[in-house]
Amino acid sequence: MIVPYSPLPDFRDKIILAPLIPVTFRNKNFEFSTFALVDSGASGAVISTVIAEALNIKWEKIPVTQGFSVGGSFRFHRFNSLRAIIYDNELMADHEFALNVSIIEAVSPYKCILGQKDLFQRAKITFEGYKSQLEITFREYN
Amino acid sequence: MKQNKIDFIKLLKGYKSGWIAISHDFRHVLFHGKNLKEAMKKAKNAKEKVYYFPAGESYSNFVG
Repeated sequence: MIVPYSPLPDFRDKIILAPLIPVTFRNKNFEFSTFALVDSGASGAVISTVIAEALNIKWEKIPVTQGFSVGGSFRFHRFNSLRAIIYDNELMADHEFALNVSIIEAVSPYKCILGQKDLFQRAKITFEGYKSQLEITFREYN
Repeated sequence: MKQNKIDFIKLLKGYKSGWIAISHDFRHVLFHGKNLKEAMKKAKNAKEKVYYFPAGESYSNFVG
């Protein structure tokens, strides 16, 4: 499916374009739908603590781990029982998969990121910045 | 098939903080809360699936 980059407000440039896709997370009986930044530079999925709370994840009780990014270090909590559901409007079907997620204690304009260990394992992703769009082709599983 | 563009410039007009709850077709803001809990409380009885997004004035300067 082809997903146009989403225009977002910005102080400096007035508009920025970001590869955001609708996603629903499920933790047992709790669901939360939002928009995830598709980030080829992210090693794995990240959600903020507020999203974890919306999914009834007691993140404070999970041991903290120190992570590193290009900007420095951050604190996160590993959670391995989450499922992600992405609707493919081309196939008119849901793609659902399990993912390990890092619940991050940090301030960021984006509260949810999908990366290499999750979405990029499930689909071929082609960024076409010159067209302001990305193409997501999910792998077929029997 | 191309997904419709999700225009957060339009959706976030008038919202500079908190969280917004967006309709399933991504065209309208159904609810706003000063935080996610409040937005979810307002959307509790919504008849359609809603998508939540943090409202802000600027989304740049992010290095992933």
